[in-house]
Amino acid sequence: MIRDITIGQYYDVPSVIHRLDPRVKLMGVLIYIVALFLIRNPVLYIVPLVVTIVLYAAAKVPASYFFKGLRGIILLLLFTFVFRMLYTPGDVIASFWIFNITSQGVVKAIQMTARIALMITGAALISYTSTPKALADGLEKAFSCFQRIGIPVHDMAIIVMIAFRFIPIMFEELNLLMDAQAARGAKFSEGNILQKCKGVITLLLPLFMMSVNRSSDLAMAMEARGYSGSHEVSRMYPLRYRTADYVSYVLLALYLAAFIFIRVFL
Amino acid sequence: MLKGENISFSYNQAGAEEKAVLKNISFEIREGDFIGLIGSSGSGKTTFVKHLNGLLKATSGTITYNGQNIYEKGYKLSNLRKEVGLVFQYPEHQLFGSTVLKDTMYGPRNLGMTDEEAEESAKSSLKLVGVDESYYYASPMELSGGQKRCVAIAGVLAMKPKILVLDEPAAGLDPETKFMIFDLIRRIQTERNIAIVLVSHHMEDVAQFANRVWVLHDGTLKMDDTPANVFAKVDQLDEMGIGVPQITQLTYELMKSGMPLPHAAISVDEAAKMLTHLLRKGANA
Amino acid sequence: MIKIDNIVHKYTVWDDENTKNEKVVLDGISLDIPSSTFMAILGPNGSGKSTLAKHLNVLLLPDEGTVWIDGINTADVDKLWDIRSQVGMVFQNPDNQIIGTSVEEDVAFGPENKNMESSKIRTLVESCLKRVGLWQKRKESPTRLSGGQKQRLGTADALAGVPKCIVMDEPTAMLDPEARKEVIRLIHDLNKNEGITIVLITHHTDEVADADQIVLMKEGHIIGKGTPMEIFSNKELLRAAKMDIPPRVELGDKLREAGIPVPESILTEEKMKSEILRLYNETKGKGEATC
Repeated sequence: MIRDITIGQYYDVPSVIHRLDPRVKLMGVLIYIVALFLIRNPVLYIVPLVVTIVLYAAAKVPASYFFKGLRGIILLLLFTFVFRMLYTPGDVIASFWIFNITSQGVVKAIQMTARIALMITGAALISYTSTPKALADGLEKAFSCFQRIGIPVHDMAIIVMIAFRFIPIMFEELNLLMDAQAARGAKFSEGNILQKCKGVITLLLPLFMMSVNRSSDLAMAMEARGYSGSHEVSRMYPLRYRTADYVSYVLLALYLAAFIFIRVFL
Repeated sequence: MLKGENISFSYNQAGAEEKAVLKNISFEIREGDFIGLIGSSGSGKTTFVKHLNGLLKATSGTITYNGQNIYEKGYKLSNLRKEVGLVFQYPEHQLFGSTVLKDTMYGPRNLGMTDEEAEESAKSSLKLVGVDESYYYASPMELSGGQKRCVAIAGVLAMKPKILVLDEPAAGLDPETKFMIFDLIRRIQTERNIAIVLVSHHMEDVAQFANRVWVLHDGTLKMDDTPANVFAKVDQLDEMGIGVPQITQLTYELMKSGMPLPHAAISVDEAAKMLTHLLRKGANA
Repeated sequence: MIKIDNIVHKYTVWDDENTKNEKVVLDGISLDIPSSTFMAILGPNGSGKSTLAKHLNVLLLPDEGTVWIDGINTADVDKLWDIRSQVGMVFQNPDNQIIGTSVEEDVAFGPENKNMESSKIRTLVESCLKRVGLWQKRKESPTRLSGGQKQRLGTADALAGVPKCIVMDEPTAMLDPEARKEVIRLIHDLNKNEGITIVLITHHTDEVADADQIVLMKEGHIIGKGTPMEIFSNKELLRAAKMDIPPRVELGDKLREAGIPVPESILTEEKMKSEILRLYNETKGKGEATC
């Protein structure tokens, strides 16, 4: 359960997709998701599916990673599917006990499940092909216009970075605490809700204390290395668009236009 | 008391190859033992101690406590957790109770003691570790680093274990506090007749306190002998990336340079005695 | 390099009754740290050594007295960033000072904050990582480094500020013996080969045998100062500072007590060994002669 969560799953291989500017990839995810929502005819889901598979292949990310994203939401997918199938009114094609399965329900169920599944696997690709730092830089650059109206985009990018750095460490600490508590007779999976909540408190409190200590340490270390949060900073690898990035933007625009066209005219 | 036979353990990671962390380890902890467990980082020490109270289950092999197989169906691991207390590294980070006393009572309560019993056990353990009564109702956060660690140890002691396993109990402490903790461990052993397993990088401490040393290397138990016999194998230990006490190193090198010492010393006293004898002999002859 | 003149530092503590109280952590400390020295500061927890370290990088300012870094008073707010680039810091907990999600990003953090040109950052990061021996691991996540490697990365972070002095606040306290050696060796190299001033705070006496000067602290005061030779031959002082007495020193004591003329203040194991061998050969020679 909680012990298996991993984050920051950058898959380090050289590929065209890895080399793309993170801003392009962020825009790509956005357009990809918008396009998914424009689809009405379920047959058309073939297109984003093929696109996703091609992109995974181009990024040299193994097929197991494709399914890794789905494993976490398998329950959600199942629930969506069953719920949509049973609660959509229409022409009944089968029925048992108090449930009716309608043909519209089946279509709707496939549509919703496919949409979520494609959204997750497609969006996951960006985390496999970009380092957290690149993503944070990309977000910072993309939203830098907001800095002028007083939104601290740079600070937010730093927060994203630090989160990526420390979430795995916090999970490690959580595991250690669970072991330590178990050694003192705690049973996390037994008892009623109230007892379980109590069990969680015994974990959250020390975890919180450790985080407080950590953040004061970290603040000190950042200050010692010249972080002030207010002045201009540079980058070791500044973001610069290359030909491949411009080409990608054009492809993305065409992709979106195609889906709008189908939605409006067909 | 606690006996393991042919313990092996590997993490089964989905997709990845299985990697054996422990290989075929057999061990026994007897009453009155003070065992020093040494090994370089990555030798499997932490994984191993987690088997001693059933936090991890061996992939193969058996562990018996007083003759009873702990992996048998129906054996309650919570019983074993009561018998084998485990103190992790930096245990003061794991405190959570609103008061020192409440935190110490947590373990006993989990074992099903009544509030009165738990409080009594907690108080006697706090007394043993030397935490003054005036701190019982204070928040653990207000204590000094050394005191916090003592409270954390008391929290495990209050469960009245027969075996106490401590992972690097002196890590990060200054020499004085470290000495206090070791003094405390020795008191725990004699006053409560608890067997001790001490995981440590500090060979001086192991040589000084342990009556038996386990050397773990690459997931196997390479040696199980007295400190003198283990530390005599300076070269072998060196190969495993394990040091020996400084004084052992010194006397060992003297022997290699041709001084006829009977064996490498494991304490300064022993070294001084041997050297005095040898350096005087010539003069007196 | 650094001159500390009679500084006092107080922390405010709140009592149960919500009354303000002051706790004096540094009580009139004066110290001179010349350029390119290796200075070690020893003392028990709560002796104020970490607080002192933070004054050297302007993470704290003294309540009384002055700290001069290369002639600049640390209280001079306008010069804050100048001073910080003179003195790099390495902290105790290896995890809590690494900010980047990869090794090279982490080293780049400081130079990026200084708004340095990208190409210069890359050359600097390369040189820092090569000096600490982590260049091969530049793309890896810091989570996958060992304790010793993490502290070496911490040192590279400090080097990226191109400092003249590095202050290390108990960098080995959380490490195992192998990793400790690794870090101490690195510090030693930086000091001897590159002339970087090192201030090492520790409570391991075995790490400071080749320091130029040792300072012993206790309860906010400096209770002793001298070369390792002077400090380690003064057992009363070591005991007062609650420090471990190195085994070779203890052995020397015991042998002298037994009437064996081992010279005092032997600094290294190597020296101790050769002294004992010399004595042994002497007595053996004498023994044979009288036979």
